[in-house]
Parts: sequence; structure tokens; C-alpha cells
Amino acid sequence: MARTDSLAKLAFAYGVHLTRRRLTRPRSQFASLLETYAPDGIRPLLPEERERHPQLIGCINCGLCALAAGRIGSVRPPDLATSYMRLYARLGAAASDLVGESPDLAAAASACPVGVPLDEVAAIVRRLAAG
Amino acid sequence: MSAPSAQDVCVIGGGVTGAGIARDLSLRGLSVLLLEKSDWGGGTTGSSSWMIHGGPRYLEFDWDTTRLSTQDAGYIVSIARNMVYRVVFIIPVLPHDKNNIERMETAMEVYDRFQPLKHAHPHVRLTAEEAREAEPGLSPDIIGAVTMEEWGVDPHRLVFANVQDAVAHGTRALNHTRVVDLLRDGGKVIGVRYRGSDGSMSEARAKVVVNAAGPWVPEVGRMAGAAVHLRPAKGIHIVYPHRISNFSISAESIDGRDLLLVSHAGFTLLGTTDDDFYGDLDSVDVLEDEVDYLLQAFERVFPSIRDYRPVRTTTGVRPTLFKWRRYEDELSRRYEVIDHAPDGAEGFVTIAGGKLSMYRLMAEETSDAVCRKLGHQAPCVTATRPLPGNESDVEPADELGRAFGITALAAMKLQTRQGSNAAAVLKEARSGRMVCRCEPITEAELVHAARHEQVRTLADAFRRVGLAAGPCAGTACVLRAAGVIGNELGWSASQRFDAAREFVRGAWLGRAPILGHSGWAQEEMASGAMRGLRN
Repeated sequence: MARTDSLAKLAFAYGVHLTRRRLTRPRSQFASLLETYAPDGIRPLLPEERERHPQLIGCINCGLCALAAGRIGSVRPPDLATSYMRLYARLGAAASDLVGESPDLAAAASACPVGVPLDEVAAIVRRLAAG
Repeated sequence: MSAPSAQDVCVIGGGVTGAGIARDLSLRGLSVLLLEKSDWGGGTTGSSSWMIHGGPRYLEFDWDTTRLSTQDAGYIVSIARNMVYRVVFIIPVLPHDKNNIERMETAMEVYDRFQPLKHAHPHVRLTAEEAREAEPGLSPDIIGAVTMEEWGVDPHRLVFANVQDAVAHGTRALNHTRVVDLLRDGGKVIGVRYRGSDGSMSEARAKVVVNAAGPWVPEVGRMAGAAVHLRPAKGIHIVYPHRISNFSISAESIDGRDLLLVSHAGFTLLGTTDDDFYGDLDSVDVLEDEVDYLLQAFERVFPSIRDYRPVRTTTGVRPTLFKWRRYEDELSRRYEVIDHAPDGAEGFVTIAGGKLSMYRLMAEETSDAVCRKLGHQAPCVTATRPLPGNESDVEPADELGRAFGITALAAMKLQTRQGSNAAAVLKEARSGRMVCRCEPITEAELVHAARHEQVRTLADAFRRVGLAAGPCAGTACVLRAAGVIGNELGWSASQRFDAAREFVRGAWLGRAPILGHSGWAQEEMASGAMRGLRN
């Protein structure tokens, strides 16, 4: 009985929806989507970041890059690639950790056994943390 | 055997429902004993999708479940505000999908009526181009999308916050304690016999015994001679140690089921399956076929999914109410409070069925039934009373980090687990040394967990603070954590090693079905770093 009732109500809602779609001109809601969820740190990756993303998160936390380069602000390179690159929604709350000098990330990346491009990792983390 | 203790109520099962019942009853002034055979949230609760959601899929079957579920989700979001975060789904539509874009938007329009109950925003409709701008990884074949908002939560912390509050109000809560039998006096259940974590046997008298054992309720029911019928359903998730996308994504499986890729706080869950389960509830394995079933579905909407390295799988069994002649996916998530007095087991009450996002309501109704049996009159207050750590706003993470010499990220992560109690945790042990850098977890938090949060194994620490939950899957932290916890619990060197080995072996069962590509590179390194632990 509950199922019949539910399906009937959905069918009615479907009719109302189709009628409304015919009578009103659709407007883009994309900008409002981004605006609504920006405070929650839910922001799109850029197409170029998306393409490189599987490589950017390949760190296996062996720690070799920490021997090749110093800290980015107060963050060790392996922590940047493992922890910060997990892209927490509240990454903005940790933006202050990344303030300061940048070490030689090319040297750090050349020590990486799985080829994580640490300069790209730093760029994406900084962009998303800045909001 | 020690002399039996006596309390008003004994609750069997330390999942979110059992913990919620213990909290509810203790806040109503009753004395409670809460027993869990493994760890808090170690069964079905911990293997959920980590969401407080209303369940739009139930709109096809039962609007009442959706209404109750969203309403109770709203209460949970309010009492656990420092633990929850928004999860926003893009639901892409492909040509020939079961539901076209108009039907999908209709469902979301109906769901929007319930969304205010859980403080969520209404849906948005996107063109194919807009959807791909929001998530560039979506397939070029999609023809449009709608969005849907839900709430994410760490179910392990949610359970423990309930246990904590129950204990603060007089509950005696014991994990790693298995009920082996019920004490009976003629047709009345008068208590439980249980084996403690040290192997010793004890008895406890109770005026009412509550069976909140999730999928194990039939087994506990049999001890009282009461039949409880479930239709247990197995579900698995693949766990990725990063957010693959900032937006969560849904996909249709080969058999037309709705699957979800859920972006949580720093990791991604992909699931879930839903299959009748007839095996041993204490030994549920993930099969490679199940992993492939999930990946196949997501490849259609998110083609690069196989380029990502999962870190483990999870599996659990849903305690679904019994129903004949229904596909698993069509089974209701309703629950039932059963008083077994008519079955000849007076003083024995079972709560069966339900789902995480209705746990508080299930606990309230079960507690109401218990209070009626005891003639105890006290109102339920759990809908409005904040859980521990959620009484006030958290301070800015960078200020907390500076005060204790840890990074803002470590402070922020600590706040997601401890809420406004984070500073107190750091103050007690005063060690900002990082034990687990992926998560990240400080030594102070681990010490606090061992001293005050009933952590007795490394798997308990995984549940309580997220130990070894990150990309390295424990390579760098397991032995270090065994040292810190062992120090607090008085473990010898060999006990520390055994604890680490037990954890690594348990974790392997969840890792084996998903290893491939760089997963094996990680595994090689882990094998070297933890030499001897797998022998």
C-alpha cells in the first residue's frame, strides 16, 4: 500500500514538473551552486588539475623528499603530498601552515620514487586553501 | 565469577543504536549497563556510508521513512554540529539511464520538500557543460545532472560521543565484552552472563534487557527463546585515501542500482553493494567481483576511476527487517521495537532494522518502550541536548595549533573528532609529536584515547582517532602508535609487537581485494617497513 501511494504521488509530481518545464524558461543555476557551497570548501578542480589528479595523489609517504628539500611554510613536503593533498573541505582553516618560503620542490620531486610532481601539488593545495 | 551487579537496564550491542539507547536511558535517570563484543561502532555502524542522509531512494517505496529519516537527521546535525559536514552530490544522467533527467529532477523536487528538516539546501539542475565544469572528470557522454545535498559524519566518533555522554550520566560501558547467555527466571529475562576483555566471566542483573545487536539480534534473541526475523544484507565500500572529487557523484550499476562515490573529510567512499547474506556474521569478506561491480558502474560516469589507488575496502551486514519476494534494494529501512513478553520472554526488548540517520529516533522509541515496562516517567531529551564536544563553537584551528605547537591542519582534524574539547585533549598530555602524519594524529590525542576512550587495540585507535586511515595505510605509524598506547596500557615489548601484527593482519583482509598498480608499490614498501609483522 505504501509503495502504491508513493508511486502515485511521484507520478503526480512528475506531471507538475513537466508542465512547469513547458511553461517556464530554464535559467542557469550554476553560479548559485558554487556560491552556496564555497563556504563549505566544496569547489571544482580545474580541468588541468583533474587530468593530473591521479599523479598528484600518488604519494606513498616514504619520506625521501623530506631529505631533498626543506619545509613549505611549516609543512614538510611528504606531509603536503599525503595529508594536505587529501583536500579536506576545511583546508582553508589550515592556510596559515603554508605561509612562508618555498623550498626547491623540483629537487624534492626528483627524489620521489613514484614521481609525484610536488610543485603542482603545492600549487593546487595553495589554491584550494586560499579559497 | 564475580558477584552479579544490578541495574535497571542492560543494553546488548555497542553500535550507534545501542549507544544511543544507553545515552537516552541514562539521561532519563535510569542505571544502564552497555555491552559490546568488539569495539564501539565496530560492526554495521562503522561499515556504513558515513552519511546522515534522508534516503531519496525510499521515495519510491515509502515517503514516511524519508520524512522520519530527514527529520531525525536534522536533530543529529544539531546535536553533533562539530562532527558533520556537507556532502554535495552531482547526479549525472546518461542516455538510456533508468531515470531520465526529468524524472531525476522530479525526485529531487520532491526530496527538496524534506531537505529543510535536515538544514540542507534544495537541488540545482545543471546542463552537461555545467556539470563538467563543476566536476571535469565526468564523462563527456552525460546529458545533464541534478545536485543533492546530504551530511557526512564519522560514525565511529558519533557512536563514541553517545557512549561518552551515557558514561557521564552513570552508564557502565564495556567494550570487548561478549554476552554468552541471558539469565532467566521462568518466563522472565533477568540479566546477562558475559565474558570480559580479560576472559573472566561475570553476571549482571537487569529489570529489562535490550537486544540492540544489529545483524546479530536473531542470535541474541535465541538466548531468550525469542525469534527475531531479519533479512541480512551485505554491503561493501572501496576506500580511497583522498577526496577524488570535491563533489560526490552517483552512478547507475549494471543492474540499475544507484551507487555513490562520497567525498568525505579527506577521503572517498565508493559503494555500496546490497546482497542477501547467509554466512558467518563475524567473518565477512570482500570479493574482487564486488569491487569490479562498483568500478564498472563508475567508469561510465567518471572514466578515470581506475587510475586512482584505493587503500582498503570495508564491509558490513545491514540488519534489514525480513520480507519475502523482494529484491534486496527494495527492502525498507524501517525498524521495529519488539517486546518479547508475548513470546514468553518478559523483560526482553529487541530493536531491529533501521539505519544510521534514524539512530536517535530508534533509540528514543526503544527507550520509551523500556520506560513503559519499568513504569518510569521521564521525557527524552536527546533531540536537543548536544553531544560531548558540541556544546560550543570550536576556536579557529590556527590559534589552537599555535597554542600547542602543532600545525593548523592537525588542530583542525583534532577538532573534527573532539569538537570544543580539543584544547583539553592537547593540554593533558602536552605532546604535539606527530604519531600519524597522514591523518594527522598527535601523541597527545593517542594518549588521551588510551586513557579515556577505551582504546585497547590498534584497531580501536583506528576507529577512535583514525590511526592508519591515510594514504600510507599505517606504514609509518603502526609501530609508533603501538609504543604510545602500550606505554599507557602497560604492554611489554612483545605485546606491542603482537598488537601491531594483529592490526596489520586485520588490515590486510580489507586491502587484498583492491591492490593493483601503485597499490602494490605501497605494499612492497609497507612489507619492508613492517618486516616480520606479517609472518
